[in-house]
Amino acid sequence: MHKSPTYDQTPEATAPLSQTWQSPPGFVSWFTHVNQRQIGYRFVVTSLIFFALAGVLALIMRLQLIAPENTLLGADFYNQLFTMHGTTMMFFFAVPAMEGLGIYLVPLMIGTRDMSFPRLNAFGYYVYLIAGVSLFVALFLGMAPAAGWFSYVPLANIAFSPGKGMDFWTSMITFIEISALAAAVELIVTILKQRAPGMTLNRMPLFVWSILVMSFMILFAMPTVMAGSVLLALDRAFDMQFFVASGGGDPLLWQHLFWFFGHPEVYIIMVPALGIISTVIATFTRKPVFGYTALVLALVATGFVSFGLWVHHMFTTGLPHLGLSFFTAAGAMIAIPSGVQVFCWIASLWGTRIRFATPMLFVLGFFAIFIIGGLTGVMVASIPFDTQVHDSYFVVAHLHYVLIGGAVFPFFAGLYYWYPKMTGRLMSERLGKWSFALIFIGTNLTFFPMHQLGLEGMPRRIYTYLEGMGWGDLNFAITLAAFVLAAGFLLTLINAVISRTRGAEAGDNPWQADTLEWAATSPPQNYNFRHLPVVNSRHPLWDEADLTRRQYVKGLRADRRELLVTTLLEAQPQSVLIMPGPSIWPFLLALVVGFGFLGFMFQPLLFVVGFALSFFAITGWLWPRKPWISTKEN
Amino acid sequence: MKRQTSRILSSLTSAARQGLPDGCGLIGLCLLSGGTAAQQGARQSTLQPASTQAQSIELLWWIMLWAGVAIFLAVMALLAWALWHGRHRESPLGLTASKNFVLLAGVAIPALVLVILVGGSLLLGRSIASTPPPDAIQVRVTGWMWWWEIEYLDSAGNVTATTANEMHVPVDRPVAIELVSGDVIHSFWVPQLQGKTDMVPGKVNSSWFVATEAGQYRGQCAEFCGLQHALMAFVVVARPEAEFNAWLAHQAEPAPTPTTDAAQQGLEVFEQSCGQCHRVRGTRAVGVIGPDLTHLASRRTLAAATLTNNQGHLAGWIGDPQRVKPGNKMPRTLLSPQDMNNLLAYLGTLE
Amino acid sequence: MSMSEVTEPQFSVDATQLSRFHGGTDAPIWWGIVGLILIEMSVVAAFVISYFYLVMVNPTWPPEGQPASELLWPTVSMVLLLVSCVTMYLAGKSVNRDRVTAFVIYTWASVALATVVLVIRWLQFQTFDFSWNDHVYGSLVWTISGFHFLHVVSAATGTSVVALLGMKKFFNSKQRIGVVVDTLYWNFVALAWIPFYLILYWAPRMTQTAGG
Ligand code: HEA
Ligand code: HEA
Ligand code: HEC
Ligand code: CUA
Ligand SMILES: [Cu+2]
Repeated sequence: MHKSPTYDQTPEATAPLSQTWQSPPGFVSWFTHVNQRQIGYRFVVTSLIFFALAGVLALIMRLQLIAPENTLLGADFYNQLFTMHGTTMMFFFAVPAMEGLGIYLVPLMIGTRDMSFPRLNAFGYYVYLIAGVSLFVALFLGMAPAAGWFSYVPLANIAFSPGKGMDFWTSMITFIEISALAAAVELIVTILKQRAPGMTLNRMPLFVWSILVMSFMILFAMPTVMAGSVLLALDRAFDMQFFVASGGGDPLLWQHLFWFFGHPEVYIIMVPALGIISTVIATFTRKPVFGYTALVLALVATGFVSFGLWVHHMFTTGLPHLGLSFFTAAGAMIAIPSGVQVFCWIASLWGTRIRFATPMLFVLGFFAIFIIGGLTGVMVASIPFDTQVHDSYFVVAHLHYVLIGGAVFPFFAGLYYWYPKMTGRLMSERLGKWSFALIFIGTNLTFFPMHQLGLEGMPRRIYTYLEGMGWGDLNFAITLAAFVLAAGFLLTLINAVISRTRGAEAGDNPWQADTLEWAATSPPQNYNFRHLPVVNSRHPLWDEADLTRRQYVKGLRADRRELLVTTLLEAQPQSVLIMPGPSIWPFLLALVVGFGFLGFMFQPLLFVVGFALSFFAITGWLWPRKPWISTKEN
Repeated sequence: MKRQTSRILSSLTSAARQGLPDGCGLIGLCLLSGGTAAQQGARQSTLQPASTQAQSIELLWWIMLWAGVAIFLAVMALLAWALWHGRHRESPLGLTASKNFVLLAGVAIPALVLVILVGGSLLLGRSIASTPPPDAIQVRVTGWMWWWEIEYLDSAGNVTATTANEMHVPVDRPVAIELVSGDVIHSFWVPQLQGKTDMVPGKVNSSWFVATEAGQYRGQCAEFCGLQHALMAFVVVARPEAEFNAWLAHQAEPAPTPTTDAAQQGLEVFEQSCGQCHRVRGTRAVGVIGPDLTHLASRRTLAAATLTNNQGHLAGWIGDPQRVKPGNKMPRTLLSPQDMNNLLAYLGTLE
Repeated sequence: MSMSEVTEPQFSVDATQLSRFHGGTDAPIWWGIVGLILIEMSVVAAFVISYFYLVMVNPTWPPEGQPASELLWPTVSMVLLLVSCVTMYLAGKSVNRDRVTAFVIYTWASVALATVVLVIRWLQFQTFDFSWNDHVYGSLVWTISGFHFLHVVSAATGTSVVALLGMKKFFNSKQRIGVVVDTLYWNFVALAWIPFYLILYWAPRMTQTAGG
């Protein structure tokens, strides 16, 4: 373990660089930080807080459903709960969590010092924070939206949802998409232009590939829901007629706009998770995963095909059957890239000596749970069957299996796996294994019986059901199981908190992994790498285990933030980018934009004020400092 | 033919059901105990089909379930073998072996399975979604927040009878349903008879089925439609054609004139306090906001299949509809005990 | 770790001589703006597709008694926007050749053209004989017009800042990436008017005659 680095990493030697890349201490300065690790970390932690909040909402829902005709919660509150649960889990937990991991890890994995647009990065975080906090404030004020996470019109329109709840929803959804889009652009540019010299596309770690695919999907999917929610906001605020049948509009237009985004959304969540799985499997089998090219192609194919599936959420809306059939076929087609990936991983695991550490356990759990969810997905892709189970608990079962199996399990695997890199300490294996066991058992006990409830005719989104329906026993069991599941998550939370101070020292590369982030210290220094690495293979840390043979970049200045720009395909050095430092403007811009969006709900003119103010903030942000041309430049 | 096979399959599966403990978790077999809870009274299960349409979907389900279980077990077995295999000595798959494995298990087999599945469900879907035969009974169902208006149409499309939350259909004769909405999106679903179809404002959707067994089937709104989406259900009563015709003829008639004093006074109370929302054909109560009550007393349930229809429940409902179904669109009407009694007496005559 | 083990690392890439300036596709910001444009193009596509979807579900388009709008002024706007792309292009050329004055003139000219377009559009808004809440046609016309109007405002203000910086001698043949990305965005905003112009002013004519 105690191999020496080949270059001087002592504090004296790195002080100037560290100084340059430092995030200033202090409370006010906290809002000026722009380094990718700070921002990525904040994304991850914040998303976990939203996960816990949404999870607790789910537990309260479960308490209401524990018995028939239960009167614990009123209908209105229950409706707010599942809307907030779904919205938070999808928009404020799953997507930002994956983005956060990407933001934290991608620059480390590709051997650079920061993202391309650090201030935009910070801006994206504040936008996310403001949107999430506003929604929860609305919940505590009892004005949360209550039309479900896909807010079908006309129910969500002003005539049937007159309160402020839906306004919060439309504004904050638009807002959170701004954050996601900022992150996506940034990740794409960073991945395409800042890879370490020699890291051709073909040598890029699979996790980076998955983040790249996710970002492109965000780029093409999120604008539609933004457009949709803006149109809905206009319908609500100005009595426009986009979704009003009597004015020539069409309620189904909303469904098309929403699901054109909504379906890719679920793969946006899953694609990075698949990257985590490949990473963890490679590390814990100590050999490259089989089928790098096949896995990359499968990711890309999933990305493409997912844009042709949206109508499978609308099988019962009365669209012509022939047209719908196309979407059954597309739904089946997407099972093939999933199958390819699953079997590539099985081939990789075949006959290897595996270390069954917690991350690996979560990956194995993923297999069982995700495949059940995938198979029920293929079932509901069949139109006749879907007409029976659509909007029933069968779909609730499907969506939790795929989301928990396909996103939460891999995310937790990633959390256990990268925690030592982020904090410098290992998480407790013992607590980790207990947590895994509880989560695995809890997930199955909670969500498996929902298939049966669905087949027995229990619709989703009902705050109560009659005694005579015979759904009581299973619901009782489900509610108990949900608490087992929650206990499992709680253990990981405890584990993370305790290990922060008490965990074993991790060292730079505790798992003996192959990718570049493990070449940095744990936690990484302000500047990530003292000398940017040069890469000659897909698995730099394995192929160049002999440290003296590693190659580096020299010539970047230590007295200002510089990093290397390389060519798109071959990653040849191209130029040097001078990065901006800490700044308060991104925070201020997020504030004024937030003011515009929130103000719009009460007085549309305030939006114009926000728009005007944001112009000043942007100018302040971008205004270059004198002297403009430094004579020392070359 | 198809019916035959489905019978055989479901008897096979119900045999399998008996042999298995309930809630056996994990693997997928638990689903086979499908009937148990539903057998104890609720009549809303997709696994107890009573129409040609629902039966063929159920058959599709069992086929997919078995295929799914087989695929799942096969993948898990492969995974287990993969892990088990190398526990003592590294023996990874070679490159070609891996390639063949992925191509076979990950591409070829799934492609085959999927082609069969897609083909099968397209054919089935076509037959279910095709236009109903011309001799079908025509019914128009309108979804309202949170109850169902049911109108029977003659061949010219004129309404012959209107009722609410209870639909009668003849056995072994196709029923064509026109689905519309009065406010937001609802979804018409009677699991034992037919999969759901949404009722979308500005659009006329349709569905049809042939009930093959006489009986009562429960339906429930399946698209979230606001506060009382949970309590928006209805009953379908399938009965022999002759009985159905008699029922329909009776429903088409206006309400009988009250014969007792109490009922006569009850009618006045009704026309005064309820008539702006409810209609009783043959009286001055012509409201259209709430359900048509012309033959209320002949119905099995109240408040969209939330309560069984008896005098106690009726009194409770009228006395405080908001307690039974908080947020529903019928306000509480304050009536003196005398008026209430007369009203109940009158409503009792609406056979 | 002790100092004694430290050896000199192998440096196989030297960044000292690499340029600190970016002229185009070598600049991350260039790719960033392309990303922004892709996003906005998706929004434009969402509007255009929604438009045709609504044309499809409505039996008459534009609604009964609603004449299709005049062509003249929108066409003038179209021409002015296209001309502004040329002036922006010339501005870029000038800065490449370090002709700062020409650069400043061309940029201000572009801003002026955009301002004329804004005035024309604003006057046209006054003449719309339907409101956004009359029918979905009205909602579409107002929303799309407003959307594009806001974009022209943004592009014009952004470009004014570029022009101001130009007057302060900020840009030259080396330091010109700001101009390059501003032009990129400008072209997008100007060209986005083409699909909008077609669906707002030509499509209703087609559907009107087709529908009889
Ligand atoms: C991470 C999230 C995620 C993922 C990965 C998936 C994956 C899939 N989903 Fe799912 N889905 C959701 C999240 C997800 N879904 C959510 C949230 C909803 C509900 C939204 C709402 O209404 O609130 C939903 C709803 C939903 C519906 C609409 C149901 C309804 O409302 O009526 C449909 C219909 O076709 C569907 C289909 C599929 C299919 C075909 C896949 C496929 O991609 C699955 C492919 C994977 C496999 C098949 C397993 C691995 C493959 C093999 C082992 C090879 C062998 C396999 C075969 C031979 C079949 N999904
Ligand atoms: C990533 C997505 C995600 C995740 C992880 C979950 C997780 C859970 N979901 Fe969720 N769910 C959705 C996405 C998700 N859900 C969506 C999109 C819908 C549809 C919404 C709609 O219809 O609009 C939905 C709907 C939905 C319903 C249907 C509601 C209805 O239709 O009426 C139910 C009902 O049981 C449910 C339950 C649960 C439970 C018990 C969990 C559990 O797994 C949660 C367990 C987690 C925790 C409890 C938090 C972690 C705990 C701690 C950090 C410890 C501290 C706390 C305590 C121990 C108290 N969910
Ligand atoms: C403001 C309108 C309004 C008034 C006044 C009103 N009702 Fe109702 N009524 C409704 C609505 C709406 C429903 C459907 C409620 C539901 O199930 O969601 C309903 C349902 C009912 C039902 C159940 C019908 C069924 O088939 O399930 C009965 C019975 C009934 N009302 C009786 C009365 C009587 C008696 C009065 C007068 C004392 C009255 N209503 C006054 C609107 C009204
Ligand atoms: Cu009507 Cu749900
Ligand atoms: Cu989908």
